[in-house]
Amino acid sequence: MRESIIMKIHYATALGAVALVAIHILFRMTQNFSESLQYQNVIANYHLLPYALMLEVVLILLSVHGFNGLRVILLELKQGIMYEKMINYGSIGAMAALIAYGSRTILMAGIGMS
Amino acid sequence: MAERMSNREGLRGMANPARYGLERVAYWLQRLSGLGLLAYLIGHIYETSSIVNGKVAWDKMLELTQTTQGHLILTLVIGMCVFHTANGIRVMLGHGGIGVGKPGQPEYPYDKSQRSATGSLNYKQRLCIWVSIALAALAMMYGMAVLFGD
Repeated sequence: MRESIIMKIHYATALGAVALVAIHILFRMTQNFSESLQYQNVIANYHLLPYALMLEVVLILLSVHGFNGLRVILLELKQGIMYEKMINYGSIGAMAALIAYGSRTILMAGIGMS
Repeated sequence: MAERMSNREGLRGMANPARYGLERVAYWLQRLSGLGLLAYLIGHIYETSSIVNGKVAWDKMLELTQTTQGHLILTLVIGMCVFHTANGIRVMLGHGGIGVGKPGQPEYPYDKSQRSATGSLNYKQRLCIWVSIALAALAMMYGMAVLFGD
């Protein structure tokens, strides 16, 4: 994929994440901060389907943005065919692993497997 | 060869915020806050995964994170998040050519309002960097009031 397209994805994921993370934080402000972190309240959040779906989207947006950012930093640091391949595939792998691990939590807490 | 290698400062060169003025500081802070936020994201996903192990595991995790140190780290994360967002929007606008001014050959007497002799950004972009830092500081103060006010 061309770097110009990757940068557009980087910017789009950033703007999407800003809006959705703001909603995620506002959910913690609906009541006292420490109260909102109580087990029952957090589980109730996961059981709310639109919120759970939003968390999944935030997870994907932030993982893509975060690991692409790390990839850019590492490619600025050093160049070379093998090194660049390693960084590119490594970033995609780490991104996929983080999304899979986060999705597992959202799914298990959402369907009440906790 | 030796001259070529002297230009390759590697990680040490990247970690040095000095030499190129405010723009370099903004570049350095953007990368540093990005790395910090990625580390927090990974930690946050790991931390919240304890909920699938039941109430006891969740409460145990809260005991670890809902401490003074935990709140200080969270305050730092709030600051990094706000700076990264505000400065990121500035960078996006700059890439789109918004707020960078018209390019021109620097000719004597230099126009200081264009900052052509001292840097590549005009006053709007430089102001945005300061605003980003100020917003981050304000958000950190608000975050501290919420976290330590409980």
